[in-house]
Amino acid sequence: MKTGLYIHIPFCQQKCLYCDFPSYDNITHLLQPYVAALCQEISGWGGVLSGTLIDTIYIGGGTPTLLPADTLKVILNKVHESFSIDEAAEFSVEANPGTTNQEKLLVLKSGGVNRISFGVQTFSDALLKSIGRIHSAEQAVRSVKEAQDAGFSNINLDLMYGLPGQSCKDLEASIQKAMKLDITHISAYGLKVEEGTPFAAMDQKGTLILPDEVEDEEMYTFTTEYLPQHGFNRYEISNFSKAGYECRHNLKYWRYQPYIGVGAAAHSFLQKERLSNISSVPQYIKCIQSGKPPIELRENLSTKVAMAEYIFLALRTVQGLSILEFQELFKRGFYLEYGDIVSELLQKKLIAVKENRIKLTVLGMKYGNVVFREFLPE
Amino acid sequence: MKTNNIRNFSIIAHIDHGKSTLADRLIEYTGTLSSRQMEAQVLDNMDLERERGITIKAQSVRLEYTAKDGETYMLNLIDTPGHVDFTYEVSRSLAACEGALLIVDAAQGIEAQTLANVYLALDNDLEIITVINKIDLPSADPERVKQEVEDVIGLDTSEAVLTSAKSGIGIEEVLEAIVKKIPPPKGTVEEPLCALIFDSHFDAYKGVIAYVRVINGIIKPGMKMKMMATNKIVEVTEVGVFRPAMTNVSELAPGHVGFVAGSIKNVKDVRVGDTITDADRPVAEALPGYRKVTPMVYCGLYPVDSSEYDLLRDALEKLKLNDASLVFEPETSSALGFGFRCGFLGLLHMEVIQERLEREYNITLITTAPSVIYKVFKTDGEIFEIENPSKLPTPQEIEHIEEPYVKAMVIVPNDYVGVVMELSQEKRGEFKDMKYLDVTRVMLTYELPLSEIIYDYFDRLKSATRGYASLDYELLGYRESKLVKLDILLNTEPVDALSIIVHRDKAAYRGRILVEKLRGIIPRQMFEIPIQAAIGNKVIARETVRAMRKDVLAKCYGGDISRKRKLLEKQKEGKKRMKQVGNVEVPQEAFMAILKID
Repeated sequence: MKTGLYIHIPFCQQKCLYCDFPSYDNITHLLQPYVAALCQEISGWGGVLSGTLIDTIYIGGGTPTLLPADTLKVILNKVHESFSIDEAAEFSVEANPGTTNQEKLLVLKSGGVNRISFGVQTFSDALLKSIGRIHSAEQAVRSVKEAQDAGFSNINLDLMYGLPGQSCKDLEASIQKAMKLDITHISAYGLKVEEGTPFAAMDQKGTLILPDEVEDEEMYTFTTEYLPQHGFNRYEISNFSKAGYECRHNLKYWRYQPYIGVGAAAHSFLQKERLSNISSVPQYIKCIQSGKPPIELRENLSTKVAMAEYIFLALRTVQGLSILEFQELFKRGFYLEYGDIVSELLQKKLIAVKENRIKLTVLGMKYGNVVFREFLPE
Repeated sequence: MKTNNIRNFSIIAHIDHGKSTLADRLIEYTGTLSSRQMEAQVLDNMDLERERGITIKAQSVRLEYTAKDGETYMLNLIDTPGHVDFTYEVSRSLAACEGALLIVDAAQGIEAQTLANVYLALDNDLEIITVINKIDLPSADPERVKQEVEDVIGLDTSEAVLTSAKSGIGIEEVLEAIVKKIPPPKGTVEEPLCALIFDSHFDAYKGVIAYVRVINGIIKPGMKMKMMATNKIVEVTEVGVFRPAMTNVSELAPGHVGFVAGSIKNVKDVRVGDTITDADRPVAEALPGYRKVTPMVYCGLYPVDSSEYDLLRDALEKLKLNDASLVFEPETSSALGFGFRCGFLGLLHMEVIQERLEREYNITLITTAPSVIYKVFKTDGEIFEIENPSKLPTPQEIEHIEEPYVKAMVIVPNDYVGVVMELSQEKRGEFKDMKYLDVTRVMLTYELPLSEIIYDYFDRLKSATRGYASLDYELLGYRESKLVKLDILLNTEPVDALSIIVHRDKAAYRGRILVEKLRGIIPRQMFEIPIQAAIGNKVIARETVRAMRKDVLAKCYGGDISRKRKLLEKQKEGKKRMKQVGNVEVPQEAFMAILKID
């Protein structure tokens, strides 16, 4: 089976106030040793996966485009040298506005990258500042245009709603501005205050003023209704794209297809087994240097857990879950296992059954967790 | 051993005054167990007993002590349960003794519980040895406490023993006092067998084991014994003593304390307080004081997961093997499904059983609010008892209702007399008496509805007096009260398991507080949930749990599915302790909320 590849770049110029991802703004000195370790890990996997075709690649972070052009080139070369890559592969790179330039864009382009995902979040300067972003709205517009000028036509923008001080009007303006930029994909995420972030501390102190639930819901509803009306189909709970521009790499996560992750804190999924790489950057480097696999956690999934994961991931997509595919994969009758749950969720109008597919309803999308947790083993 | 060299005694003490520690020291000092074998507080067997620092089952141990007079004595210590729920068991343990050690904390003085048990001991004509314990505490004031014992109980304390069980001070003096002051048992071997059952337990191999004190005659394997209250006759298969492990002996003679086994399958046949006699040569009359123990407090026990119903029934049956006072019968609730209505001696007994079911049998339970037994007099002349509020007939059918009252004794420092009076008043108490125990401590006597005691009287008493008050009570009988049924409606559907019976004058207040409380407990769900309190058709209070606007994880970072799954698992874990009532998910604590109203 074709496999996906994720590459993690845990560096940022400045950490955003809401962010709890494994990324750091104070370890620039580790940049070169990290890239060396990363390349070593890529080579290693290349050996293991010789003969397997890679059909999606995703370089995420952090801010991959914070790396200098020549460093990016080293990584890209390493990837090509180590893996057999499908001719039609989707190759995405995450970028933050203000960290790209023509030189880097050219390196990416000639390195096979064909999709760029910009962390724009909002086009309001005041809001950008309040969430700790380093760029301005104008810079975001410029960065997108530069990418398009460099020949990138498949572009995603990440947008956020539920930001402190954000109104539905702000959100509407941002979405409209995004769509004017001739892009192909929008990811719209609701802000969640995560433990250990500056926002969590502010929340505790009472200085973080978030939109109330009614406004938050209004923004969610606006986003999920407005985008499809304007050519961006919702294909997953938080993801919207023009026809044919769904992110194939992310679809792998939801469709229970294999992927490997390289770099600190990266995750791999290899049929029934999940691997997590060491999340500490210095320890990751040390581990690679000492010649050991940088794996922190190996999780062998029991059938029950694997089935649950399969279901809740598939249900995130608008296509939903194929019962036939499920039965083919797990050799178990879907309704035999989950008949009671299905009937209960149908009654609550959270799911709909059409032929051999189960999908979340519009209501179910909103209360996804209520549906997902039902399928977890007791 | 000569009967003259036997001494049977109990220990009376308030919780934390050092009963178990002193018992341990006595065991250690007499060499019954080496210190290597000692586990702190040998006599409290159950984990629960050790954790809570209370004794639930009576225990017994035989000590051998060579006194200063050169003679060797057999000392039988019968450790008694130390809680008001088990007053009857205590009285039977005391009846098995000729003497008792009254332990009083040298700093804290007498407490209500101690007092109640001392009176029980005096009723049984026991010789009482006063032991002032914890004398090495900085705040100890043995002289004041001695004076208090003299003034309040009227005991001569000139020969009181001063000890610190913790530091091992005064242990020998306690043993000497036991030998010198407590009279030896009086019985003879010639009389027909007569032995008092003071406790029992179930052994998977030997059947029910009766804990006995022989008054007259001999009991030995091979003979036929008869339990006089139940008329059960069995052959004695084993007799033995507690050292403290059960050790077989050839016979038990007058004055001896030990155990008797005889392939008895049902603990109900071996009732505490009953008399064992020789089936072939019975005594004419049973020992006085036997009564059938009846539950005072009832509650519904339901498995959260309805598939655990059979498990719960088996577990209750197993617990009942060891506990004749536990009663239960199947019950159905429209809100909670299949479960059991269980009767207990009191609140502690109830909590202990619940905890054991959850811990030892791993069953997640929903407990409904405890209820007393009400006597309902219907207009058509019918009289019946209910122990489940939801069974109360409609007001039109009721002529009047009676509820159990108790006489409650509260001992408090005099600064708190006012707050105790206020609280007791609020709890519908009737003031009966006030007595100064010494210059600073006062004993108040009130008559109160039992339902108020099990509701929150004790907790509030403790908090109002910063823990200084102690409480004891005894049942007085039934009295007429103006009672009504308060129903709770979730999403406009009445939830039978949440109904309570309350005094008419308090219904509005309780209803209001209860719905407020429930609003805090019931988590927000996909729709708005009205919570109402109603008497009959009249809604007297309402709160609303607002709908949850959305509940979905937005981001799936870098293929880290495990993290997402763990989040969902955590949510699911929280759901586990919820019961689906209609279309509302209700956490188990909601059903006990009624008890935790401040």
